[in-house]
Amino acid sequence: MATARPEIVFAGTDGGAVLTLDEYRSAGGFGALAKAREMAPDEVIAELEASGLRGRGGAGFPTGRKWAFVPKPDQLPKPHYLVVNADESEPGTFKDREIMLRVPFRFLEGCLISAHAIQAKTVFVYIRGEYEREFEILRDSLEAMRKAKLLGKVTLVLHRGAGAYICGEETALLESLEGGRGLPRTKPPFPAVAGLYAAPTAVNNVESIATATKVLELGGAEYAKLGVENSSGTRVFSLSGDVVNPGNYELPHGISLRELVYDVGGGVPNGRALKAVIPGGSSTPILTAEDIDTRMDFDSLVAAGSSIGSAGVIVLDDRCCMVQLGVRVSQFYEHESCGKCTPCRVGTRWLTQILQKIENGDAGQADLDLLLSVCDRILGKCLCPLGDSDAIAVASYVARFRDEFQQHVDLGRCPFEGESSLERILAPTEMHARHHEAAHA
Amino acid sequence: MPELVKVTVDERGVEVPQGTGLVEAAQAAGIEIPVFCYEPRLGPPVGACRMCLVEIEGMPKLQAGCTLTVQEGMVIRTAQTSEKAAEGQEATLEFILVNHPLDCPVCDKGGECPLQDLTFRYGPPATRMSFPKLTFDKPIPISPLIALDRERCILCYRCTRFSEDVSEDGLLIARNRGANTVIATFEDEPYRSPFSGNVIELCPVGALTSTQYRFEARPWEIQNVPTVCTGCPVGCNVSATVREGRVRRIVSRNHSEIDRGWLCDKGRFTYPHLRAGDRVTTPLVRDRAGLREATWDEALDVAEELLRAAGGAIVTALSGSETTEIAYSLGRVLRGGLAAHSAVLPEATSDALDAFSLPLSAIAEAELVVVLGDDPVVERAPIVDLWIKEAARRGAEVVVCGPTGDLPTPPGTAGSVCSELAAPGSRLGKRLRASERAILVWSGPGGGGGARLAELAAELGFEGKPGSGALHLPSTPNGRAVAAAWSAAANADETNPEPIGLLFVSGDEAASDPSVRALAEQAARVVVVTMFHELAGGWADLVLPATASLERDGTTMNLEGRLQRLRRTVLPPCPDELAWLSKLGARFGVETAPDAATVYAELAERLFRDLTLEDLGLRAPLPGRKGYAEPAPATTGAPPPLPSPAEQHFVGQLRLHRYRALFSGPAVERVPELRFQRPPLEVELSVPDAERRGIATGDVVQLRSNGTSVELRARVNRRLVEGLARVADEHAGDLHATVEVVKAP
Amino acid sequence: MTPALYDRIQDLRKRYPERRSAILPALRLAQEEHAGWLPPEALTEVADALDVTPAYCLSIASFYDQFHLEPRGRTLVEVCTNVSCALAGAQDVVDAFERELGVAPGSTSADGAYGLGTVECLGGCGWAPVVAIDNRHRLRVQAADVPAIVQELGDGDGPA
Repeated sequence: MATARPEIVFAGTDGGAVLTLDEYRSAGGFGALAKAREMAPDEVIAELEASGLRGRGGAGFPTGRKWAFVPKPDQLPKPHYLVVNADESEPGTFKDREIMLRVPFRFLEGCLISAHAIQAKTVFVYIRGEYEREFEILRDSLEAMRKAKLLGKVTLVLHRGAGAYICGEETALLESLEGGRGLPRTKPPFPAVAGLYAAPTAVNNVESIATATKVLELGGAEYAKLGVENSSGTRVFSLSGDVVNPGNYELPHGISLRELVYDVGGGVPNGRALKAVIPGGSSTPILTAEDIDTRMDFDSLVAAGSSIGSAGVIVLDDRCCMVQLGVRVSQFYEHESCGKCTPCRVGTRWLTQILQKIENGDAGQADLDLLLSVCDRILGKCLCPLGDSDAIAVASYVARFRDEFQQHVDLGRCPFEGESSLERILAPTEMHARHHEAAHA
Repeated sequence: MPELVKVTVDERGVEVPQGTGLVEAAQAAGIEIPVFCYEPRLGPPVGACRMCLVEIEGMPKLQAGCTLTVQEGMVIRTAQTSEKAAEGQEATLEFILVNHPLDCPVCDKGGECPLQDLTFRYGPPATRMSFPKLTFDKPIPISPLIALDRERCILCYRCTRFSEDVSEDGLLIARNRGANTVIATFEDEPYRSPFSGNVIELCPVGALTSTQYRFEARPWEIQNVPTVCTGCPVGCNVSATVREGRVRRIVSRNHSEIDRGWLCDKGRFTYPHLRAGDRVTTPLVRDRAGLREATWDEALDVAEELLRAAGGAIVTALSGSETTEIAYSLGRVLRGGLAAHSAVLPEATSDALDAFSLPLSAIAEAELVVVLGDDPVVERAPIVDLWIKEAARRGAEVVVCGPTGDLPTPPGTAGSVCSELAAPGSRLGKRLRASERAILVWSGPGGGGGARLAELAAELGFEGKPGSGALHLPSTPNGRAVAAAWSAAANADETNPEPIGLLFVSGDEAASDPSVRALAEQAARVVVVTMFHELAGGWADLVLPATASLERDGTTMNLEGRLQRLRRTVLPPCPDELAWLSKLGARFGVETAPDAATVYAELAERLFRDLTLEDLGLRAPLPGRKGYAEPAPATTGAPPPLPSPAEQHFVGQLRLHRYRALFSGPAVERVPELRFQRPPLEVELSVPDAERRGIATGDVVQLRSNGTSVELRARVNRRLVEGLARVADEHAGDLHATVEVVKAP
Repeated sequence: MTPALYDRIQDLRKRYPERRSAILPALRLAQEEHAGWLPPEALTEVADALDVTPAYCLSIASFYDQFHLEPRGRTLVEVCTNVSCALAGAQDVVDAFERELGVAPGSTSADGAYGLGTVECLGGCGWAPVVAIDNRHRLRVQAADVPAIVQELGDGDGPA
């Protein structure tokens, strides 16, 4: 029997978008905001805690608890800030985009509710620079809300990023928002206490904020009935790759990967076989076809040796060379590394070089050992999770597809012989290198 | 007394004050934690390099030790006792060395290189890297003083953090992202900051090196002689690196109360003037043919003759850069032997501020700093400017009252500002009175050597507030002790001989001072003690070679009132002043010692009781505050008022405001690498004055006054007080006090 | 410098408690005014308007992918080549643009009209391959669609 698909985040859209204030309001919109404003901030926080909502950005930290960590204004008399992380850049993840496109008012309402909960008078929405249309929609929606005097005393600033994955890391985001290079900070101090402009700050993901609106509407306990233990509620899964029906799907936590890929996603096209699935964005360990019955919730994925991350599910069929996957993914982290800490700055580049050598068929056994050693030397040593992600991803490809890596070494070439689905793909790092060579030839 | 916390480092227990950083706590336990990017003087730790990884009980991941403050009961394991930490540190070094070139044989840092040392102690024994390393054009000059080697750079970001967070010039930056990150400046602009040289010392590898020191020496064949810089009145503690009898470079010796390990570029890079081409090394005597070289015996004969012939109508022009001992001996010889009691100094000096003295480091603790005076602090006492910036970063309110300050005040009005602040209605005055940690700084000419400021401090109630104080920034490095030593050399009143039989000019500053030149024209004869031929060649009857501060033993008193010890770092090419003064004195029946220590012992009895040379040691202490004694009232009148717009014909006149730039003077002029630091050929105008004349930044303009004219490039300064044309002294030539400024045709 | 840019940046400054925060939107405005890239003059203009140094602006601009310190063509075509787009045929799309525009990825056409590049994940994985043309996204682009797209770009003032 198929899992029920209650719509929470996308409720009331009927597959489309709700782009006018009147349409949203007449369907019950802004009721949650009014309700929240009648409640004390701590009551709003309690509602979120009761809901069990965990951050939807990738870290999965309970939203209510995060807000509870923010010192109250009488404890710490500095301006308080809500910062919304709309810098969605994790490969395989495209849900926040769709949320902003289809339910902008629900999202903005959530911003105001959240601001009330932490007693912030200013909200910054840091939206990745590439999401230009989404920015325009939010801008227009915000303007409509301002005209309808819904903002109250809150100032909401839409701040566009300019193309840097690292700015999705909360402290790097704050640095960027303050006008600096997007370099992560060491913690402590934590943003809750000293975040934006060294003031108490909560940084939350778009989906978490949009969900908060519904939590207030339904009530925390009601929301907690959805999903499974430790993973309450629904989740917008981004499904992409070798699958018939890629797209964003709001489904309850606990749905199986099999149901997601085959029932919702329509399975692998063109009669190919499923080879692997990346379950939560490129930073999560890869799963093999044997893991197809894993449930999509926080605990189950950890038990399977991976993580739900940002719920960006990438399906890979049997045309895909795992070494090439490693090269491409490592190239991503190399390109996006901010360069602050040594192991990530140097290690991501070195991993790519070793993987390329293996793919080219020039590697010996020692190179395979070296690859894992470098992964090990990166893991747990970096300032932020970016470097770790490269190491985790690559190490998982070797762990789950050891034979394929070994084949490259033994054969002295890629066994796919030019037919892999990732053949010749030109990554930005490679493009820059070629351009540099050509320019200095 | 801060509370103590007990922590364990590699099974050694240690107790440290609460708030101590983990690296310092380990140090206290005698354990080294290796670091690259960690440098407390640069602000809060960043945890970038990952060299300091340690294992902390209860934390699953390795931690960057430098970012942590120790807590009670913390159990820390470093590479010594933790395999995980050792592996983490080896990993960091392996990653750093992945792209680091094998330059050691040709790299100036070799032998004093933390990367070499730490690799030896914690690093991998061999490389596993088989791919092409990242290469760059190298070295590239980021200024005439500093070379950048991007291949060696380990991107610890110490240099960019210095530029952004200490000197706040924002000129040295990180460019690009990730592995492509490089250190850079904007376009081809040089890194032009008065403090740029500090990045050389900060850099833990040979990425930022001194061009003056390139290939000059290896650390194992040098001596570092500790002394004190006399380029300005701060008196930063330095070491001169000497190889084969020559000074090869100057590095900081770090006096935590004075300089905190920073040096300005003037102090760091001016030493080549010791070997300037026109250095005077033998006495020069004027005869009918001109100046000719003479032996010392001959020179002293001539000197004796000239001095006796003057019949007591002798005036001595002091530079204020002499050591205390030279000034004292000079006084003993001239005053004691020849009753030549008249002396001129560049400026007045006073002891009044001893009642409000504090170490420069106290500025960083201030909550309110008020600067008055005509000149920016950075031109007079650069390190004080760094201290004030530190105070501002820590939240202090800084108010600058001056021609280019936030409270614009015309030149010459610092005295009136003092009166205003003392008045009961002044809001700023009220804040100064209320604060427990307020500091006044007089940065500019006048002020009676600090007397005016002392009066203000007393009026504001600074007595009894150890956190509040006042500093006067003089224009000479040792003026106060020179004046005191000259004064103490004899017990007689000053005279004012007219006409002047002999002008005795002591030192380069006096020799290049136009007012001393003017005096020389009135004098029958002139004796000049100078380092450079050019300064006295045209007008002296007798030239005696001077030594440089780096060539002198002796003492010098800085603007805090702290007496510090100079040590001879290299032999001068001529006898020390004390040596020939001793001989000269003997001819007039005056006995003075030829060595500084003995002279000091004598003058100390009169001036610095209870302070022996040993007490000064390597890092001299600041004497405690004295009681306040009201100084003599001001003698100079009010400055001339600025011409009002209504009084101006046509486009009108501006008052010429001259300032003496930090990078000026005979020594600096003789160092080619410092040319780019010298003040540009510019005149600064205020926004309204520029607009009225249709002048924009970059336009070539003429400054005219009664027959003389000078052409300069204009720069509109948004902060400049209206009615002024601001020009560096050395570019203003003979221009008068008021000038007409017009766009050049 | 156009007074407009200076004034617009002053307006941006007002939105933030600290002026440095305005640097990202300020650089974006300056880039728009300079035909899609940031020459040194643009960095100096932004520096003047924000009271920071040009070097600081360089440090920020060079960190982010969307700021270009070299000319990138009046029309910039960027093809995502991350995993999902790659699986959907992104490389063929890159090759097609290279053929049709006569520009190698990472370069600009000789007349400065077009720039072509590959980029990392644009957040459109479910609608792969994704192509950004002057920051407006085209979804599900196949190699066969490219000639018509290029034709359209050549005809109009810019993409839809």
